Amino acid sequence: MALEGSGAPRPRATAGGSSAGPPEGWEAPRERWLSTVVRPAFGPRSVLLEVAARLLIPAILTLSVFLLVSGHDRPGGGFAGGLVASMAYVLRYIAGGRHELAAGLPMRPNTLLALGMIVACGAAGVPLLFGRPILDTVKWEFTLPVFGDVKLLSALIFETGVFLIVVGLVLSVVAALGARMEAEEAEARQERAAEQARAARRRGGEKA
Amino acid sequence: MNMLLAIPLVVPLLGAAVTLLLRGVPRAQQIVGALTLSVVIVDAALLLARTADGTVVTTQAGAWAAPLGITLVADPMAALLLLVSSVVLLIVLLYAIGQDIGGLSRATPQVFHPTYLVLTAGVCLSFIAGDLFNLFVGFEIMLTASYALITQAPTRARVRASMIYTVVSLTSSILFLTGIALVYALTGTVNMADIAEKLGAAPPELRMVLALLFFVVFGIKAAIVPMHFWLPDSYPVALTRISAIFAALLTKVAVYAIIRTQTLLFFRDDISDVLLWVAIATMVVGILGALVQDDVNRVMSFALVSHIGFMIFGLGVGTAAGLAGAVFYLVHHIIVQATLFLVNGLMRQYVGHTSLRAIRGLTTVSPALALFFFLPALSLAGLPPMSGFVAKVALFEAGFAEGSPLVLAGIVAGLLTSLLTLIAVFRIWTRAFWGTPLPDMVEAKERLRNGANLGGLRFMTTMTGVMVAVGLFVAVAAGPLASIGFTAAEGLVNGDAYIEAVLGEGAR
Repeated sequence: MALEGSGAPRPRATAGGSSAGPPEGWEAPRERWLSTVVRPAFGPRSVLLEVAARLLIPAILTLSVFLLVSGHDRPGGGFAGGLVASMAYVLRYIAGGRHELAAGLPMRPNTLLALGMIVACGAAGVPLLFGRPILDTVKWEFTLPVFGDVKLLSALIFETGVFLIVVGLVLSVVAALGARMEAEEAEARQERAAEQARAARRRGGEKA
Repeated sequence: MNMLLAIPLVVPLLGAAVTLLLRGVPRAQQIVGALTLSVVIVDAALLLARTADGTVVTTQAGAWAAPLGITLVADPMAALLLLVSSVVLLIVLLYAIGQDIGGLSRATPQVFHPTYLVLTAGVCLSFIAGDLFNLFVGFEIMLTASYALITQAPTRARVRASMIYTVVSLTSSILFLTGIALVYALTGTVNMADIAEKLGAAPPELRMVLALLFFVVFGIKAAIVPMHFWLPDSYPVALTRISAIFAALLTKVAVYAIIRTQTLLFFRDDISDVLLWVAIATMVVGILGALVQDDVNRVMSFALVSHIGFMIFGLGVGTAAGLAGAVFYLVHHIIVQATLFLVNGLMRQYVGHTSLRAIRGLTTVSPALALFFFLPALSLAGLPPMSGFVAKVALFEAGFAEGSPLVLAGIVAGLLTSLLTLIAVFRIWTRAFWGTPLPDMVEAKERLRNGANLGGLRFMTTMTGVMVAVGLFVAVAAGPLASIGFTAAEGLVNGDAYIEAVLGEGAR
């Protein structure tokens, strides 16, 4: 990377002809920060953003699970957790573009949405089978070696469904309004380029 | 009770999830959709059987007691509307399935089926919600689904119409939320039964403002004059299956919400003069609009606006008889309006458009279509012995019994509107159905007759016929229905049973 106008003396041109290349014998690192060949969603590629995304995404996802689990009687819950988790994917999309988003998704956003809805409706409806009102909750309390006293509620299943619904919904919005348009734009660009190439060939043919 | 009240909400959402998973397998989606709606119908029928004697059934979600938790409530009115709506939803779905099988529509099934079932859940929740906030949630579920549905098979006109529709609906939703916040600030609760108890202590002026605010909120969604302008601009351009369901149900859910809030929450505040004026304006302006339109769908949309006025009139009369008339009118109108839009859809199949300028002699092209238009059209205009006649007689009788000058003016406006409706439908009849068919219509018919999609078309026609039959059944069963309507109306006029059922014995 050359630092243009930084005042440093410019390195002398090497035999390769590139004045801004890496020093001789330097090998580019093979591992990538993100999993696909990077083509960011907007603007030029930013290393800073890629590194930040790589470092932050696991933390964000962990936080989202924390919010999901702690949400019963403290701030959080499936909705908040789902939003936070989907932000991790949005960050990944902004840093790496639509292929990166696709690489990070286990399934189509719509499937995620449907699964979430089934889990949530199931959790809401199962108490009916036992003659209890809809959305009724069962509580289990027990002691685990490391965690200490644990309180587990069946409402957590419902919240998990909500979590999945929110992630699925945000991702389908990102897929529809971001990735899809990006893909269409790329297609249009390719077509334009092909058109120009054809036009250039025609002109060349006329001249010849 | 827990089960019966939860099913209309849980089953359609579950069905929506399953149809979403089954994208790409249209046949499975169709089966799941039809099964889901059948379950809702059975459930609604059981609920109606349970509540027909005036009982109010409730369930407290998560076993949280009433003013705090989410309460689902079904009184006779909610159960009756639930049943009628689910029947209409199923028939329109079957019509749409026929259209898809015949390859006669450009709708995308993988979007249509899940969204349609979500819409069903929203409609059901709106009917059985026991608190204002869940009423809002029900409306939002329904509207969000409708935003997606109205742009099915997008064209320039549909996208434009959906913009108007979405902006207007969102405006009304914001006002709704504001209203809920104000009610909460005033009473500290959003549970409707609890609000009804606590609003009594609030200053009358504030109550009046809230009553009017809620009337405006639901008035926008019910397309009451002068807040009706968006409806004839947006409904007619959507796909037939969509506009049929919108015309039949969405405005009626709003009318239900008007009746519920004005009777249960604001029964002390007499805004009946406002209601009657608005009802008169709605009837007359709507039908005058219908008379000058050249497109069958637009005529029907204006007629829809006009006839909302009758239900508001019933509420404005304010007596049990008036409300019973309004409830019966709701039932009648849901079915008739759905039928007429389905007929318009068939017309679009045969002719390719619904402009009166270029349709002649549909009677020759399809006698069944002519019959299916004729019967509900007569019912809409209120000729005996159709259900519209019974509904109008019930309303006018209640009006005469009340007898104040404004109510009498309302009756005159109602009679005038009925007459003008008759002119509007006969205008369609003489222009579109009589005469010799245009050459291109005969050609189109031949193409349809020889085409591979004949089976689909037959199925659609059959479903339209079933809807007509349901409309006739309403007229035949007018006696029992009217008695249910009366029980419902008495429950509305005297909210004690509702409040006691929600808040527990001894609440009053």
